[in-house]
Amino acid sequence: MRLPRSLVGWFYVSPLMLVLIPFFVLPMVVIITASVLEGDGFGGIMPFFTTQNYIDVFGSGLTFNLYFSTIKFTILTWVFSLIIGFWVAYFLVFHVKNQLLAIGLFLVCTVPFWTSNIIRMISWIPLLGKEGLVNMILQGLGIIDKPLEFLLFSDFAVVVAYVHQLTIFMIVPIFNSMARIDKRVVEAALDAGASRFDIMRYIIVPLSKSGMALGSIFVVSIVMGDFFVVRVMSGGGSASVVAALYEDISVLQYPPAAANAVVLVLVVMLMIGLILRTVDIRREIAR
Amino acid sequence: MTTTVEHPHRRRPTRRREGRPWTFYVLAGVFIAYVLALYGPMFCIYLLSFQDIRGGLVFPMKGFSLHWFNDLFTQVRTGDVKGGFQRSIQLALLVTVITVVVSFIAGLAFRRRFRGDSIVFYLMIGSLVAPGLVLGIGVGLLFQYFGVSPHWTTSALGAQLSWTLPFGVLIMFAVMSRFDRSWEEAARDLGATPWQTIWLVIVPILTPGIVAVALFGFTLSYDEFARTLQTSGSLNTLPLEIWSMTLNVTSPSLYALGTVTTIVSFVIIGICLGTIALIQKRRTQRAATH
Amino acid sequence: MSTERRQGDIELAGVGKRYDDIVAVEGINLKIPDGAYCCFLGPSGCGKTTILRMIAGHEDPTFGDILIGGENVVGMAPIERRTAMMFQSYALFPHLSVRDNIAFALRVRGVPKAERYKAADEMIEKVQLTELAHRLPGQLSGGQQQRVALARAAITGPRVLLLDEPLSALDEQLRIQMRQELRRMQQDLGITFIHVTHTQLEAIALADLVVVMERGKIKQAGGAREVYVSPHDRYVAEFLGGQNVLSGKVEKVNGASLVMRGPKLEGFEVPVAGKTAVTQGDKVDIAVRRDDIRLLRPESAAIAPGNPHLSTRVQAIEYQGYFVKVMLDAIGDDEFVAYVTERDFFSDPLKVGDIVVATWQSDHTLLLA
Repeated sequence: MRLPRSLVGWFYVSPLMLVLIPFFVLPMVVIITASVLEGDGFGGIMPFFTTQNYIDVFGSGLTFNLYFSTIKFTILTWVFSLIIGFWVAYFLVFHVKNQLLAIGLFLVCTVPFWTSNIIRMISWIPLLGKEGLVNMILQGLGIIDKPLEFLLFSDFAVVVAYVHQLTIFMIVPIFNSMARIDKRVVEAALDAGASRFDIMRYIIVPLSKSGMALGSIFVVSIVMGDFFVVRVMSGGGSASVVAALYEDISVLQYPPAAANAVVLVLVVMLMIGLILRTVDIRREIAR
Repeated sequence: MTTTVEHPHRRRPTRRREGRPWTFYVLAGVFIAYVLALYGPMFCIYLLSFQDIRGGLVFPMKGFSLHWFNDLFTQVRTGDVKGGFQRSIQLALLVTVITVVVSFIAGLAFRRRFRGDSIVFYLMIGSLVAPGLVLGIGVGLLFQYFGVSPHWTTSALGAQLSWTLPFGVLIMFAVMSRFDRSWEEAARDLGATPWQTIWLVIVPILTPGIVAVALFGFTLSYDEFARTLQTSGSLNTLPLEIWSMTLNVTSPSLYALGTVTTIVSFVIIGICLGTIALIQKRRTQRAATH
Repeated sequence: MSTERRQGDIELAGVGKRYDDIVAVEGINLKIPDGAYCCFLGPSGCGKTTILRMIAGHEDPTFGDILIGGENVVGMAPIERRTAMMFQSYALFPHLSVRDNIAFALRVRGVPKAERYKAADEMIEKVQLTELAHRLPGQLSGGQQQRVALARAAITGPRVLLLDEPLSALDEQLRIQMRQELRRMQQDLGITFIHVTHTQLEAIALADLVVVMERGKIKQAGGAREVYVSPHDRYVAEFLGGQNVLSGKVEKVNGASLVMRGPKLEGFEVPVAGKTAVTQGDKVDIAVRRDDIRLLRPESAAIAPGNPHLSTRVQAIEYQGYFVKVMLDAIGDDEFVAYVTERDFFSDPLKVGDIVVATWQSDHTLLLA
């Protein structure tokens, strides 16, 4: 009478699979395939097996520079967004006593998420530029006499733009996991004589780990896959793995780009895998 | 500083519970700085977009007019902004509807474990974290292989769904895990068919979660760039228009575009939240007037 | 709801439920007469809720038949069985008003709005919720929610109402009040109620038929007084409480009685009362009601030599209002407690550490299986 449970499950996820297979699994298969074939240099791919694309990727010093720079941006962005995200979430959950106000302030933090990322990035230009607001103010106050050059079109600007865009991805999951901490646990710890530092160390950090992991997944995967912010905000001074990939594509070099892409996907999966090891994400989401 | 100044905090240092701890003020400062940094730059460009014809990319503001908005929609060099808008909104609506329906159904599956559920789960995580441009290239090559030319309603739609669906399913997953199964059993007990159970019980109770999925779906699509770049075909979506503008337009038109897209975003949020408020109000009103 | 259609008698014939390797219910047999108030009693995990859910149709038995009104209902939907269930935390639909919750069953079967509201309003009146008809469940107290749940289940005119721990979400006072209300509703509706609980007081206060369960098996089924006064075995006696259970060895069997000896207990006569095949040397359990125990000072002349008696020491005393609970030194592993009426106790109050002689009439001893 009743269908077996697994069959019902697969029936319900079938629409999802109908999207994921042609638009995630197959494209990945195509890229892996293209990465071991020869290109004709005009955007065509020829059915001849070769490992040359990978040899080129690993043989080029440029590859390592690109990964070095991309991973540097990833780590910097991760660290800053985690620190800011953690303390903002902590402030909202544990210091704002009025719950309605806390939710209101939380929404204030999330509203920019609903606006265009690109526009948010561009919005730093009138601030950080050579004739921008920051330089104008600093010069006006007499702190500096020459405009600071490093503010825009630099690595600094890249990190600023990333942190500006991605801290929200930390705040939301950390806020969620912190909001679920039973306040009586904290009171019990206080009664047991724990200092505020102990509470932070033994209660709040462990219990919000899942939120931090989830946020880290978003931040790491987005920065690793970005080429747009790097390109605009560094003024061409820095590149990223995907930016280089995009260059290859623009000159129709599909197989080398595919080999690059496979390596990149493996690196990203490895990083996400490391994060997933720290927490059972599935259980945490369902909690 | 003289000792006669009576400082309320100094006078009663032992009563810690009364006042706020010093960390409150430090963190409040952090929070305010964060919010300023979050909104400040955006308000700058909104402001700068209202300059007159003499306006440039930086302060100080030169005059006040709607010149750059006009410029945005009429000038050829700014590209097909109007068309981009239309396509982006249509695409986002399409993505939203599909995301809501598919995530809801998939969420139903994930309420209990079934054989192979982890495969689906990690496939979703993979699809979520895969670099967007890589995925876009893959979709582009796939279409090329099958001899189908990419178009924003086919390849771009699919590429965006591979990103919005994992988001949507994860949200539904979280929402449904808090859904009490006995509601469903109660409905069945009272004679509801599976369809009636979904429409009369599960969907109304999960409405907030479903709206959240819709909002996410819309925003993620409306703002999607990397996956769309290689898959949209000959016609651009709005983020692609903005992208090309950032590379060759150096006038406040760019800022005007920022202002307009923000307004559109807010109108959408407003409609969503307004709908929820209306539903809630109807419910309580119905309860009150009878 | 007409009486001729009711047929709310239930028969469980070898019903069992297995989840993978775990046996939740082991082939049980039970008959519940029409219109009875039946309580399944047992600790959590004993399978009582599984039985309820199998009768309700929310779970299929792995084997065996469930007959309601003589008809096998296995595989039928709940509504076809004409059963209705009241869920543990009521499972009221949070987005529907009281009235819409109650009218839900009629709505899904396509009863027109006016008609279903009329029926719902009648039911609302029956459970005295008229003023709250338009509230949402979140705005009701626990007791009110329970009444809504009851009304929602009853509106379909079921022949059996199944209640899963219906009182566990309420506080003590409300629980006693709602207990009475459940009984009143059952009499009003005149249908079979099956109620699952782990509280023995609830079971014996309400039920015509108490079914005591342990690990998927029925240990004893009978009237409230029957299971309380004549527990079948040690498990039932201990679970229902109010009994001291002691073990000992059979010294001699002489027809209608046997002589038993236990640690600290001299040989005394125990009525066999139809219990089968006990032979000399067997280990047996007996039960003695705690309120049958008399405590005497060692020097007292009231110690009757024919009755069992044992010398013991007061370990703790708990005042309970109308009686006093006196805990005595355990006998072997068995707790030994006397309930002394308040007046008797205070006519010669005992203290912790006092040596006393505990005695009871030998024909008040119950031989357990």
